[in-house]
Amino acid sequence: MKTSKIRIKVNGEWHELTVPNQKTLLEVIRGDLLLTGTKRICDTGECGSCTVIMDGKAVNSCIVLAVEANGKEINTIEGLSQIGKLHPIQEEFVAKGAIQCGFCTPGMIMTAKAQPGPRDRLRRPLYRGPALSRDRCGLRRGHARGER
Amino acid sequence: MENFEYFEPKTVQEAVGLLVKYKRAAKLLAGGTDLMLGMKEGFVQPRYLINLKTIKGLDKIAYSKKGGISIGSLTTWTAILSSGAILEHYPILREAASLIGGYQIRNRGTIGGNICHASPSADSAPALMVYGAQCVVSGPRRERVIPIEEIFSGAQKTSLKPGEILTGFRIPTPDPKSKGCYLKFSPRKAMDLPIVGVGALVRTSNGTFEEVKIALGAVAPTPIRARKAERFLVGKPVSDPSIRQAAEEAVNESRPITDLRASREYRLGLVRELTGQAITQSL
Repeated sequence: MKTSKIRIKVNGEWHELTVPNQKTLLEVIRGDLLLTGTKRICDTGECGSCTVIMDGKAVNSCIVLAVEANGKEINTIEGLSQIGKLHPIQEEFVAKGAIQCGFCTPGMIMTAKAQPGPRDRLRRPLYRGPALSRDRCGLRRGHARGER
Repeated sequence: MENFEYFEPKTVQEAVGLLVKYKRAAKLLAGGTDLMLGMKEGFVQPRYLINLKTIKGLDKIAYSKKGGISIGSLTTWTAILSSGAILEHYPILREAASLIGGYQIRNRGTIGGNICHASPSADSAPALMVYGAQCVVSGPRRERVIPIEEIFSGAQKTSLKPGEILTGFRIPTPDPKSKGCYLKFSPRKAMDLPIVGVGALVRTSNGTFEEVKIALGAVAPTPIRARKAERFLVGKPVSDPSIRQAAEEAVNESRPITDLRASREYRLGLVRELTGQAITQSL
């Protein structure tokens, strides 16, 4: 088994790990660091529930290799609230009831967090709605398996 | 996913060296938005994975009025969408970029990866084709530059030779009098592949078509130029009948297949409709 030594800064804290080269960032976050707020649903980079912020950009951690994240700064849903106080985006999600079952909500919130601010003239018009849509709920993969 | 040996070359030469050494057992990793899926499903099982993101400078965009733009192959869609030069001079490419994947995919996916994956439905291909983009290819021998049309050799196949790496694109500045668009038809508004994609770049003068470029995606084993439709329109008056006839020519040069996304007949109908719309919107 070929492995690599990586160093990643997750929610402000550096971690050093030795990982098999084929391990994804999602598997490290959930399995090694036990930060299970980041969810695995489609596992193919479509649904967005595994979204984390890597060096300021929202990425699907299920299709990023852990070795690619070496030296990078990663923020997960766990790092969002400060001393028991929810982040304003989290508060809004709660206030507006912006969830269905809630399982993929961390991905939505991290995607919203990474959206460029209103002052960014060039990027602003690109955001065309939430990263996740109704027809991509967690049951979809199960449906596809059933149909096969 | 199978285990593999992982490399982080610092230069293009180093990456070429690894490719020459490991040949077909090696795969190049750009954004990974296509490759990772293939590796997870087991369609692609590289024994050696070469990450190109560690090579400095492959993700640069540089523009000059005289020389046009050069876009590194590792440039992400997000970077393309943030480029002022692309916004101003290459709006069709920007439009195509904005229609790719979702927000997270655009943060990772790269233009070079999109082209080298060589899917007939690659959204960036029609835009690059109508702008007359050239591909810059490095390899064991001299760097070579080839037109974008020549990099595709079949579905999911490129004409790159063993050891060669696509390092970027050069695109001349389009005539400021020309106008164009990219139209993508897909069942969903976002995060979907086109059933048919059409790019057009048109210049008219005194009610006559002077220059016309039309490129089609997902209608043949590779993205294609609709050259018959282009030739037909040049010199013709700007009118509905000539646009309709050009759309018919585009249908005649399309060779779509029936697959799970759409039937051949449906795709041909879309070529007719979207080509007409694309030309009209480019006036």
